[in-house]
Amino acid sequence: MSVLSAIFVGLAMGLVFGLALEKSRVFEPGVIVGQMQLRNFIMLKVFLSAVATGLVVLAALNGFGFIKLAPKATLYTADIAGGLILGVGITLAGGCPGTVLAQIGAGYRDAWATLLGGLCGALTFGYLEPVLRPWIDGGPGKLTLDHLVGLPFWQVAVMFAALIIMLLVLLERWRPWQTELGRHVDGDTGSAATGGSGRRHIVSQH
Amino acid sequence: MLSLRDKAWSPYAAGILIGLLQIPAFLLINTALGASSSYVTVAGNLAALVDPGAAKIDYIAKHLAGAKNWWQVALVIGVALGALLSSRLSGASRPPMSTVWSRGLGITSMAQRAPLAFVAGFIMLFGARIADGCTSGHGLSGIAQLAIGSFIAVAAMFAGGIATALLLRRV
Repeated sequence: MSVLSAIFVGLAMGLVFGLALEKSRVFEPGVIVGQMQLRNFIMLKVFLSAVATGLVVLAALNGFGFIKLAPKATLYTADIAGGLILGVGITLAGGCPGTVLAQIGAGYRDAWATLLGGLCGALTFGYLEPVLRPWIDGGPGKLTLDHLVGLPFWQVAVMFAALIIMLLVLLERWRPWQTELGRHVDGDTGSAATGGSGRRHIVSQH
Repeated sequence: MLSLRDKAWSPYAAGILIGLLQIPAFLLINTALGASSSYVTVAGNLAALVDPGAAKIDYIAKHLAGAKNWWQVALVIGVALGALLSSRLSGASRPPMSTVWSRGLGITSMAQRAPLAFVAGFIMLFGARIADGCTSGHGLSGIAQLAIGSFIAVAAMFAGGIATALLLRRV
């Protein structure tokens, strides 16, 4: 595919992605920080729904031979250290590398600073990569759950998706999603012990 | 049912829509959903304008051009446009910064928030590039491909995120 067509496809897919992120409110810093404090589970609900859908979609596409999968190599140090650092950033940014763009689109102006910091962080890594590479490398390479259990990808993917769906049913029974939005759909449900400002109300939508 | 004028959709409906995006990603672009490498493409191309040495580093060089790299840049720009469109249609306008920062950190002005947001973005992308993926690449796509490294990376992301969030006030 030419670069121009790829850009067109990317923009079209991004529009849908951004719409879904905005409508789900998962781009809200209040939702992300709330998730990390285990008080709001909208992030987990969106994330697990997307993963379960992806599992089923890839099980079908791969099972019928339309596509080859391209899982990332397993690099223990990089996955653990990089993931930990990324997690710190996610809480302080109140977002992820993708949802920061949704924050910008939705009107949070501080997200421009997050974006600029992200560009500088990515570039800094790029310059340091030759120095960091020996430390980052090291792991079993491409390793997937289906290979570990010795079953076809589509079977493990469908079973794992079913497990996620059961988990989501339980999660929804415990915390109905409408109760987690807050009056301003920003994840502020006024659940904190302190408070008392006029904004704090637990609102259930009907 | 779902309307573009709604301020909020069910997280399950939105999640399913996001998961379905793997179909065009794999069939048309031969890749999975991801976001963080686009930062290297944009920052690398900007750096190459002022520093010819940047393009001599293999890691930066392989992110500079090509359909997959520019597809992901277009994807994240599309995310901003999609969120803009969605919020305009529903009228869910946002203040300059989320109220979570005053509740969690006592930050009330942009002069306090912007430097922290910059540092947060820096840490986030530095970590994502070490891990070779973010919430999208490892989280959505890696786990959907049952990659063990992605399970580890996502667990580490939540560990780092939860540990940091516990240092904030209850939100």
